[in-house]
Amino acid sequence: MNALKIMRRVSFVILIAVFAASLLAGKLVPYSHATQFREAPNSLPSGKHLLGTDPLGRDLFARLLYGTRISLLLAPAAALLSTMIAGVFGAFAGLYGGWPQRVVLTAADLSMALPLLFVLLTLRALLPLDISPALSITCTFLLLGLLGWSSSLRVVWASSRSLRESDFLLMARATGCSPLRTIFKHVLPNLRPVLFAQFWISIPVFILAEATLSMLGLGVMEPLPSWGNLLRGLEDFPAVSANPWKLAPLFMVCLVVICFQMILPAQEEVS
Amino acid sequence: MKSQFARLALAGILVFAAAPFWAQTGGELHFCLRGEPKTFNPILVDDDASENVRYLTGGVLIRLNRQTQALEPALATSWTVSKDRRSITFHLRKGLRFSDGTPFTSEDVAFTMRQLLDPATHSPTGDAFRSGQGNTEIRTPSADVVTITFPAPVAGLERQFDQAAIMSAHSSQKEMAVLGPFQVAEYKAGSYVLLKKNANYWKHDSKGNSLPYVDTVRLDIQRNRDIELMRFRRGEVHLINNLEADQFDRLQHDMPGITRDAGTGLDPEQFWFNLRPSSPLPEHKKAWFRTTEFRKAVSLAINRDDLCRVVYAGYAKPAYGPVSPSNHFWFNSALKNPGRDVDASKRLLAKAGFRFDGETLKDSSGNRVEFTLITNSGNKARERMATMIQQDLSEIGIKMNVVTLDFPSLIERMTRTFDYDACLLGFLNTDLDPNGQMTVWLSSGENHPWDPNQKSPATAWEAEIDKLMRDQATATTEKQRKADFDRVQAIVAEQQPFIYLVNKDVLTAVSSSVTGASPVVLNPQAFWNAEVLRVGPATNLGAQK
Amino acid sequence: MKALAKTIGLRLLRLTLLALLGGFLCATLVRFAPGYGVDERELDPRLSHESVQEIRKAGELNSNLFSYYGRYLNKAAHGDFGKSQWLQQPVSVLIKERFSVTARSVLLGVFLAWAFAFSFSLASILSKSFALDFSGTLLSGFLIALPTAVVAILALYLRAPVFAAIALVTFPKLFRYLRNVFVHAFEQPYILAARARGIGNARIIYRHVLPLSSPALLALLGISLSLAFGAAIPLEALCDSPGIGQLAWQAALNRDLPLITSLTLLVTLVTVAANSFANVKQENPL
Repeated sequence: MNALKIMRRVSFVILIAVFAASLLAGKLVPYSHATQFREAPNSLPSGKHLLGTDPLGRDLFARLLYGTRISLLLAPAAALLSTMIAGVFGAFAGLYGGWPQRVVLTAADLSMALPLLFVLLTLRALLPLDISPALSITCTFLLLGLLGWSSSLRVVWASSRSLRESDFLLMARATGCSPLRTIFKHVLPNLRPVLFAQFWISIPVFILAEATLSMLGLGVMEPLPSWGNLLRGLEDFPAVSANPWKLAPLFMVCLVVICFQMILPAQEEVS
Repeated sequence: MKSQFARLALAGILVFAAAPFWAQTGGELHFCLRGEPKTFNPILVDDDASENVRYLTGGVLIRLNRQTQALEPALATSWTVSKDRRSITFHLRKGLRFSDGTPFTSEDVAFTMRQLLDPATHSPTGDAFRSGQGNTEIRTPSADVVTITFPAPVAGLERQFDQAAIMSAHSSQKEMAVLGPFQVAEYKAGSYVLLKKNANYWKHDSKGNSLPYVDTVRLDIQRNRDIELMRFRRGEVHLINNLEADQFDRLQHDMPGITRDAGTGLDPEQFWFNLRPSSPLPEHKKAWFRTTEFRKAVSLAINRDDLCRVVYAGYAKPAYGPVSPSNHFWFNSALKNPGRDVDASKRLLAKAGFRFDGETLKDSSGNRVEFTLITNSGNKARERMATMIQQDLSEIGIKMNVVTLDFPSLIERMTRTFDYDACLLGFLNTDLDPNGQMTVWLSSGENHPWDPNQKSPATAWEAEIDKLMRDQATATTEKQRKADFDRVQAIVAEQQPFIYLVNKDVLTAVSSSVTGASPVVLNPQAFWNAEVLRVGPATNLGAQK
Repeated sequence: MKALAKTIGLRLLRLTLLALLGGFLCATLVRFAPGYGVDERELDPRLSHESVQEIRKAGELNSNLFSYYGRYLNKAAHGDFGKSQWLQQPVSVLIKERFSVTARSVLLGVFLAWAFAFSFSLASILSKSFALDFSGTLLSGFLIALPTAVVAILALYLRAPVFAAIALVTFPKLFRYLRNVFVHAFEQPYILAARARGIGNARIIYRHVLPLSSPALLALLGISLSLAFGAAIPLEALCDSPGIGQLAWQAALNRDLPLITSLTLLVTLVTVAANSFANVKQENPL
């Protein structure tokens, strides 16, 4: 429908605008995300601080922009990682059926049953202490990517199964192509639309996962801002209802995630 | 018409005059425990939640009045301590019964003390009594006299009995038969503990009415402080202990008269550097932390006033030593507070061989001065303080990273692997007497955080502290003990093994439907006098803005 | 009949084996997590040196993972699931008390989500109104975009019970999937013909659409149950509701090996069972 196409374009434009704003954060805001204006904690929005300040006096608008940058750069990286893993495993399972399929599906089931939060807690506590905040946030997202492949797996598996009987694969097998080569040179390229769809869907999932992780206090190291970090300010609900601009991080998260979803047609989500 | 009006007016006046008596006896006092009570056996109590239940249900021989901080007779009408401070004789109240009707005699005291002092029980309360090798002798010459003789003098002997709740030797209910104002009626794991009035409670008020006034106490298990506050605002919960500063601030703004600031508390927040020689840190880092000038410079660079103002909304005071000024007797008032002095800090660093390379600090070998502070996750105030200290230290060129860990990981690094640079925690001082902190100050102590369980003191100042702590434990006069501990505080100020940050105020909130509450600094703060609290209809309901 | 029994038996066996494997994996994770075997009580300055040593020794009790798991399975076969180190109570008692709370929340939440998703998707398709369809997509998009923690906070503030939060989390995905299923069903030629002939919508739905989509609906039921159960765990932990979720989170934070093993067993069992509904459809595509 025409209206849907318009929505898709609008979402795309919004995403680009948000991303650009976050990259230009240095130009848009005169202060760093870490500078504490200790004379004015929890201040109201003003000309000096567009969204006011947080309890330590740091400019919320600056933190929002820098946090957006971090989330929008790292969530796609994590999504890429998880999609690649799901792609390889899913193709492998779909192609060979039988035991490989059972093993991969079981592994996927199990990893969905394991308490993800606890795994992340543990892995994070195992990280060495003397790494910089930037490195720690990258590690957090990479961990999310390594552990988040199971939900994309089933979709990839279903698609690769339908490829099993196709002619070009029969040809590849007939000419003695090794399994790995088959997967990487023949199957994955054909799965590209599915993989791309999964990649796109996973981005918001990882954004939200990082948000939840940070809200539990296990995410980004101070003083780096991230959306999850900023959403922790919402725990104090009475304070938020009195100061509605504090909802800005939540609004940003929802906006970006909704835009991601709008861009992708709904049919491709169903397994 | 006129007579009717007069009658109405009279009734109105009478009703008003009777208002103080509206908050009658009965009703249910409702507040929250911050965790799951692990045991109802008073001997094994080790966590806050269980200790709160024990305070409300247990009967003790001597009670420390939390308000006056003086000792009061409870189950014992009088007691005498021998000259060598090894023996104590109690004269017990006659004719008392446990909550299930079993008579209370000296046999129960003997039974409790034997269990408590049995090393195999590993009771924290019992461990606090033990001062030397040998067995403790307990004699019960009659049904209401009991004498306990310890192998060595126990410092602060009488105060320890405030923690020893007496259990019944003969009751079939075992530890559930109690002598305190309440007894446990129901316990639903994860949800609540319901206490009901102990009909056999010995105490009566000045008019001869039986205590406690309320019928039941409902303790909900509520870990989340924001939820607890929400429920308090809705009137579901009657009091909150240990409010966070920003919660207190807002509550005071919305519902004035409900919040009570009991004054500066006893609990400091502090951090320390890892001084263990065998830790897995790189050598240059160990050298920094070992250097006294380095520690002092860090301490001088921290803006404690800002910490109090921004993180605690002014409900805290800068701390420079282990004892809070509200501990009048033990506080060493002769020590001066250096305040914040960045120039002095830089001078000290220069003296220790550090130099500035532009904005960053480097040591004499050219290594950039950078370390990581760990603290426990979930404590917003600590995380904020760490972030503020991060900025303060950047002014003297030090890069400090902050990592929050969950508590077990933190403890493992602190006590097993020693793989950390610096750690920020708060210590709970339940007792005014510093003798309870022996294991913290002794270099051979378990809880000597920067370098526990030393075979012999690693530094001269630690050796001096060891000697002073041992002296104060055996000193015969309080004056001598104070002199010893004053000197310990002076050494700590000079060497800065602990960098103290703030002393938090004790902040509580009490609903207007509760009468008789007067929160104090000592635990359990708002409900130390639970037996005389009354619950009536809320008078200021809806006063929120 | 025999073949059916055999299939069911094999499925149950697979289920049990998977659950045991999941439990073992989780136990391994807990055992080797940093902070295993340490107890907060060690920091109590009142305790003597010997007492602290006792506490440390007690923490090393289950050090050997394999022997521990062997003993655990042995006792479990007799119905004894061990004792929680953290709460000092039998695990089976703890789980029994809490599982009913979680089960109630999950079932109510799923029921609520289904009721809304079902009616909303059917309404938007039958009415052919773009506004309804679009608002449904927007609403579900918005709800998916809310992080679980935020949903929990909202539920707390609005005094909503946990099952409402679960419904809120399950609804959006369910709505999208259901909508696609129904769109696919309504596009079938004979249904179009039936509608053209003027047969009432209710009859069409009941007699034609539902039977046609029943395998997909069954699969969705499984998926929604497993989704709801998965969401219940962080939601309960954040809302402090006395269910399995909060128990699991606290047990993980306290590194309570016996409790975690049993809980993971339970969670894996439920999740895999729910997912196997979906497997049925995909392994036997119609």
